Amino acid sequence: MLSFVAAGKIFPDGTRALRSVTLHVPRGQFCVVLGPSGAGKSTLLRLVNGLVEPTAGVVRVDGVAVTRRTLAAVRPRVAMIHQQFNLSPRLSVAKNVLAGSLPAVSTARALLHLFPAGLRRRACELIARVGLDAEHLHRRASDLSGGQQQRVGIARAFILDPAVVLADEPVASLDPNISRDILALLRQASKERGATVLCSLHQVDLAREFAERVIGVHSGEIVYDGPAADLDDATLTLIYHQTRPGSPVPATAAVEAGGRR
Amino acid sequence: MAGRTGAALGGRTAAGWELRQPYDAKIVALVLLVVLGLGVSAQRVEGQRFLALSWEWAQSLVGLRESSQIGQGLARMGESLFPPQLGERTEVSRIESFDPGRLPWFSRIERQESREVRVNRETLRTETHVAVREFLVQPVGYLWRVAVKMVETLEIALWGTILAVVVSVPLAIGGARNYTPSPGVYAAARGLVSFLRAIPEMISALFLVLAYGFGPIAGILALGLHAAGFLGKFYAEDVENADRGPQEALQAIGAGKLKVLWFGVLPQVFPQYIAYTLYILDRNVRMAIVIGIVGAGGIGQELKGRYDMFNYGHVSTILLALFVTVFILDQVSARIRARLI
Repeated sequence: MLSFVAAGKIFPDGTRALRSVTLHVPRGQFCVVLGPSGAGKSTLLRLVNGLVEPTAGVVRVDGVAVTRRTLAAVRPRVAMIHQQFNLSPRLSVAKNVLAGSLPAVSTARALLHLFPAGLRRRACELIARVGLDAEHLHRRASDLSGGQQQRVGIARAFILDPAVVLADEPVASLDPNISRDILALLRQASKERGATVLCSLHQVDLAREFAERVIGVHSGEIVYDGPAADLDDATLTLIYHQTRPGSPVPATAAVEAGGRR
Repeated sequence: MAGRTGAALGGRTAAGWELRQPYDAKIVALVLLVVLGLGVSAQRVEGQRFLALSWEWAQSLVGLRESSQIGQGLARMGESLFPPQLGERTEVSRIESFDPGRLPWFSRIERQESREVRVNRETLRTETHVAVREFLVQPVGYLWRVAVKMVETLEIALWGTILAVVVSVPLAIGGARNYTPSPGVYAAARGLVSFLRAIPEMISALFLVLAYGFGPIAGILALGLHAAGFLGKFYAEDVENADRGPQEALQAIGAGKLKVLWFGVLPQVFPQYIAYTLYILDRNVRMAIVIGIVGAGGIGQELKGRYDMFNYGHVSTILLALFVTVFILDQVSARIRARLI
């Protein structure tokens, strides 16, 4: 269970990225965050693993508030998948997946690259699970195609059996067919392991196809929260073309967003 | 921000915009001033004499002059350097515990008779004395000696490089803004790195020879400390400039700084590290030769000795050996680079 309570973020340069977000995501839900660029999707995700500290409110992962003090305990339970994959370029696929288990491995073992047998086994299973072959194990991550790199990213995310998976535009740099495969894989993997997924996207059709629930964000506020099936043109206008910056939020939007919560 | 519609597109006018020339009179004046300054400086560093001597040499080369100072100097040098001294010839009586039954490889003994005619003071007659002197001749003895010294130089360079890497890695971590444990450590590491880099090997070798005596120790320390200054700076800057993505991915799941450094940064910067380290090794070999001149061991020490004794034949053997070594080293380091990167 993941919850935001009146969470807000104003960056030091004065940018108000999130106003006051209250949101509860039950365990195992596949939740897609939609919104235009700069709406605050990334900030919303990053609040969960403390890459961004809230300036107001609180974020809880399984009841534990994410603060500097709890960060070390929270982070290993929250995996993240990135738009640019963020794999270590010259490290092998296997090492990249194993790197996802670093918080669970002693520093001495990590420095010597000696991972416990259980984790090595699990890394192999995950790499097979995301659709890569044995020959990929020792290939450099940077030599793979984008889609394959994101598969490695997913394997890395699941190695510690996370409670929450944050996917920050996981398919933004992939072509449509591969995007579909990757999202299907992400959804399936999270269902198998009961992980809650918070996935930001900018393709509405993909959101319709994969999301159990869609959160529409505009200018740092939630303007839509409901099932993917209810995403109609009016809602999309609300999310994407709502207003010019600076003008007040239309009353209808506020009512609609509130009503569906 | 989103939400901006077509109204804003194309609605601008270029009124008040201006594209200036890339430079103006002030910059031209500045450039002229710099050129003037260089002209003054050229006089101070004997620019005129350089031109005069070179002109003289050029004239003599095409036959317009009998001789030139540079030509004479080069000719004298060429004569004295040629031929290179490869062998060694030692009088047997000067070799301690000489065993004719066990000669070194490829060596032989030459006998030389010398006749001396002397007047016997008692009889007042001239007498002829025949003295036989034996020499141990080693045809490539000196070349061998140079090779041994050269290996010593290479070892000094190698250990200097190892020392530099060992010293510079902690300095680089402390001196990288994003991984330093504290601002104090950062300042100290950067300061030390600059300090190490500021002292040329030649100067520190001079002092280290006083501390550790003549020989390789002073050389290794001088090379290692100076190169640590270089590597510390380069390594640290690479760590700072490494792609943030992989680091953030590992930070996000709660991996500690050291683990992030190891798995998120090192794989990225590794090829550069190898390139820097090979460059330092290459440079250390050349510097190990030079600092031998102040007594820090190796071939340089031999070169300095022979030069001071006017044994130019020996000097030219050493120079040839240097050329061959540096050439081979270039090839080897290119191979290593190609394999590791």
